[in-house]
Amino acid sequence: MSTTHPGPARVRRSEPRPSAVTAKHLARAKVTRQRRGSRLKLWAGLVCTLLVVIPVALARVLPLPGPDQQDLASRRLAPLVDGHLFGTDQLGRDLLSRVLHGGQVSLLVGLLAVVVSGVIGVVLGASAGYFGGWVDTVVSRLLEAQLSLPLLMMLLLVVALFGPSIPVITFVIAIAQWPEVARLTRSLVLVEREKPYVAAARVLGLHRFAILLRHVLPNVVKQASLVVLLLLAQAVLLESALSYLGAGPQRPFATWGRIISDGQDYITTSWWMVTLPGLVIVALVVGVNLLGDGLRDRARRRKVSTP
Amino acid sequence: MGSYLLKRLGQSVLTVFLTISTVFVLIRLAPGDPAAAYAGPLATTEDLARIRAAFGLDRSVVEQYLLFLKGILTGDLGTSYSFRSPALDVVLERLPFTITLALAAILITTVVAVPLGVWMARRADTTRELGANVVTIAGQSMPDFWSGIMLLTVFAVLVPVLPASGFATWGGLVLPAVTVAILQIALISRLVRSEMAKNLTAPYLTVARSRGVSERALVWRYAMTNSSIPVVTALGTRFASMLNGVVVVEVVFAWPGVGSLVVRALETRDYPLIQATVLVTAALAVTVQLLVDLAYPLLDPRVRLGKKVSA
Repeated sequence: MSTTHPGPARVRRSEPRPSAVTAKHLARAKVTRQRRGSRLKLWAGLVCTLLVVIPVALARVLPLPGPDQQDLASRRLAPLVDGHLFGTDQLGRDLLSRVLHGGQVSLLVGLLAVVVSGVIGVVLGASAGYFGGWVDTVVSRLLEAQLSLPLLMMLLLVVALFGPSIPVITFVIAIAQWPEVARLTRSLVLVEREKPYVAAARVLGLHRFAILLRHVLPNVVKQASLVVLLLLAQAVLLESALSYLGAGPQRPFATWGRIISDGQDYITTSWWMVTLPGLVIVALVVGVNLLGDGLRDRARRRKVSTP
Repeated sequence: MGSYLLKRLGQSVLTVFLTISTVFVLIRLAPGDPAAAYAGPLATTEDLARIRAAFGLDRSVVEQYLLFLKGILTGDLGTSYSFRSPALDVVLERLPFTITLALAAILITTVVAVPLGVWMARRADTTRELGANVVTIAGQSMPDFWSGIMLLTVFAVLVPVLPASGFATWGGLVLPAVTVAILQIALISRLVRSEMAKNLTAPYLTVARSRGVSERALVWRYAMTNSSIPVVTALGTRFASMLNGVVVVEVVFAWPGVGSLVVRALETRDYPLIQATVLVTAALAVTVQLLVDLAYPLLDPRVRLGKKVSA
């Protein structure tokens, strides 16, 4: 009699406790969906980015004709003809080789511009947020003024002034981008400086700069660095726009915008000369944007779960 | 209100003044001689000197600057070298085209981006929203000159339904406006989505829903009203920056606006024309910004102009 009674001792440990929440519910839960979404974005972004970055980085190693090697006998060959994966341009140059070599310059300019704008933005934004007063006034005014400036016009002007060399173009793009970093850093520092540890450091007699550099900034940099990828995407686009307008780097290789503007005249007969370089830009920028977005989503979720 | 308006007006004038002064100095630092660009390669030294005197370029930079400031007050911005007519007239002749393009683009953006953003916010974190999200990311990842050339190839060359360039008919407005709008739609719809998602989960919306307010009113009257300030600010800022010249798109479509004018003026070192363009567009952009700020109290009665919002 007593043997048929299912006592608590007979419930095995490994079995899950009975619950109204099934695995199906869990799979449909908002958090699961969010996590799946951000993971998908991260992976897709990584694949798109690497698809462009790896060939660009290996441009010199890959068995390709030189980007400036003309062959007038094989002008405007369609893609996949005679081993030209992307076809050739009006001077018989291999389009893939041009795109990859140009991409090295585009990517280099983009990365440098992000570093420079990041440094300017973090320094100005952090000082504006931490010191307040006239520093804040000056920086905030500068930020506002830049919003109403005819930006691209100014950038073209500066490039016309100092010549389209890589340092000038990097600097110009950095100038266009620092407000974003500065605004973000400023708002993060404004929150951070009210925290007790800052007061404690001040009581200990640390210098203002030491508190800002050694205590406040390390707590802010991680969050501020989330915009880096989004900035890189913008920098690549801006560089391509400048070089499309003829204000891009000329040496050592023509960059993506320039390649597209070169091919524009042949668009009716040779579609690939514009389409394919453009698709490469899109693939890279979509990839970088997806990565940035996915990382931001994940960081936001972490922040919510661990207050 | 009055003092706030005065303060903002002062700031706007100062911004325009600083912008135009920076440009004035920058173009004179630039290498390249407008007289040489004007006269061509065969000009003699005497020719160049005569042209410089005619353009007033033989005076000192300070003198030129003071003359320029005086010109702003009297509405005389000098004569364009390449058009040989008053620079201000050349700019004002082109300005309606840029304004038309910017208005069309911002209209398309608003009509598409706001419903799209709301749609995304209401389906936050579903597979369909993820799909729309990826589409907006793609939209903001396309270089505008490239998407312009692609649209042009498809709709003006392969399937010739729309004119390729210029502004002869209203049909010519479609492709440039759509090209400008693609990027803006991506940016604005993401903003609308995040603002609306915040408001759609707010307690006041639950309260309203429990009172039996219809779902449509909840979204469009309750949540949208509270999302409108950031959205209108973004739209206004975008519009203002478009007035500064949608340079790239105007060049692609040979659109007769100020953007393509600036590129030409920079190439020919047409100082008066560059200055006039920057002055006019900067003044317009600042005015739009000011109007957006003044519209805040209409959107949100809690806002008192000149005071910080405590929302």
